[in-house]
Amino acid sequence: MSSSTRRVLPAMLGALAAAGMLWAATSLWTRAAAQAPAAPAAAPMSAEQAAPIDLKGYWVSLITQNWRFRMLVPGPGEYADIPINEKAKQFADAWKAGPDEAAGKQCEAYGAAVLMRNPEHLHIAWQDPQTLRVDTDAGMQTRLLQFKPPARAAQAQASLQGQSRARWVTPGTGFRAAAPAATDSHHGSLHVDTDHLSAGLLRKNGVPYGTDTTLTEWWDLHTEPEGDEWLSISTTVHDPEYLDGPYIYDSVFQKEHDGSEWDPEPCSLSF
Amino acid sequence: MKPRSVAFTLVSCLAVMLYAGAVCAQIDLSGNWVVESTQDGREHASGPFPGNFAGIPLNQQGREAGWAYSGDQHEELYRQCEAWSMPYLVTGPWGGTFTAVRDHYGNVIAWHLSAPLYDRLPNTIWMDGRQAPPPQAVHTNAGFTTGHWEGDTLVAYTTHLSDSILERNGPPLSNQGTLRLFITRHGDELMMLGVIRDPVYLEAPWVKGQDFRLVLAGESNEVPEYCQPAEVVEGLSDGYHTATVLPDQIAAAQTYMLQHYGIPVLATQGGAQTMYPQFRKKLSGVYKPRTTYCTQFCCNGRGAQRLCKGID
Repeated sequence: MSSSTRRVLPAMLGALAAAGMLWAATSLWTRAAAQAPAAPAAAPMSAEQAAPIDLKGYWVSLITQNWRFRMLVPGPGEYADIPINEKAKQFADAWKAGPDEAAGKQCEAYGAAVLMRNPEHLHIAWQDPQTLRVDTDAGMQTRLLQFKPPARAAQAQASLQGQSRARWVTPGTGFRAAAPAATDSHHGSLHVDTDHLSAGLLRKNGVPYGTDTTLTEWWDLHTEPEGDEWLSISTTVHDPEYLDGPYIYDSVFQKEHDGSEWDPEPCSLSF
Repeated sequence: MKPRSVAFTLVSCLAVMLYAGAVCAQIDLSGNWVVESTQDGREHASGPFPGNFAGIPLNQQGREAGWAYSGDQHEELYRQCEAWSMPYLVTGPWGGTFTAVRDHYGNVIAWHLSAPLYDRLPNTIWMDGRQAPPPQAVHTNAGFTTGHWEGDTLVAYTTHLSDSILERNGPPLSNQGTLRLFITRHGDELMMLGVIRDPVYLEAPWVKGQDFRLVLAGESNEVPEYCQPAEVVEGLSDGYHTATVLPDQIAAAQTYMLQHYGIPVLATQGGAQTMYPQFRKKLSGVYKPRTTYCTQFCCNGRGAQRLCKGID
């Protein structure tokens, strides 16, 4: 080791140690500051209290994609944009609306796998501090997005809207290493996993989904300087029985001032 | 200055810079992203049906310009290599590669989005706080884009777009049009919500969502397809002639969806009302689903084309 290296090395080590102390001290100060208001005895925040975005209110869907398949009842054999397999095609080719309507199964096209895809209004409200309730006027359906699902949910029976487990994903808890800044408190996404679904239809011309279907959703809220608020829901549907691969679609909703456009209508396979 | 002091200063500065960089770090968008959404397959592939503007908030001027559009104009010699406008990112089938542009200190000053094919220009989203140029500055199909972070979402705003079309069947976009993109990364998925405004041709914002998936190698890694103009349509691609649209062709475009799918012109002419669920009531009794089996573009999901072999 040269004499100059011998002189500089301790200095570098010292500097690194100083930098480390700076880092540690700042981190400790930051953590202490963040933890200071929360006394150990304080109760954890509910999902409603912790909500980084406010989804409450009335929303209307914007049908700007797949217009023909969403606004109208498609004719037989119109399966475009859904990654169906052979079994699904056979099912849909043989399907007729009449028998299902006669059997009172009109709501099979309003299950969770496709409910947010339908033309409709949403009313979103907190049913309780841990459950976000989403009502639709089209088909008059209700989804419950549970942040703390009951322990026996795993054994729950299959239903049209299934079991939905929700969680907030906020900046800093996702894929960013740095701690979230204070201004990030009103940003974040809602992540929802849904299963325990009963069989239903992805399209009103008989394209089916099965009881093993699961879906994953990302709900994001975007506000523009012009004042418009958009809710985008990115949905991935998995069905090992009737799909060759994931069925992925985006639903977009626009915030409404009030519920004056709310127009409940029963399920229908012909409208 | 003694070597020891110099070293101390340098290393301390480095440590502070690294720490500051970590604090300022934002979501990393780097990588190849391919379109994952399974929607609007017809529009992504062979293009929308003629004269079908349902779900596009065109005003009267916009729909008339759309009906008068001819796809043949892209066979005119000087237009054969013309790229689509920036909104093609949320209306088209292509993703791209995001690359961070950094300054000497490693700070991200822009995100560069590559063009996977010649039909969309590359785009730079400036993150360094610069202002857009004055309105009279040059307008291009890429436009000029600035961006900022709102939480985990990159908000990009594009102005200075040139006159173009929104879809391949002709709904127009003027050079006053703007695009605001909300780009949110969820792990290996990227959600883009595009809000397109145009005071000339649209009576409301046109909002489209598209999902992308991160891949190690994909379309964006392919060798770019360079466009070489050539005479494609005899008599049109010679560099001297232009495409024309005659009144009977406009009438045919207006009624195409009525004839083939029973969808009335009230819907296919577009307009803000066609985006909303209430509009379905106006079609009640007017539209009746076809009873004959699908004969064109029936299956296009992953691997599903083979199911409709012989039909499409």
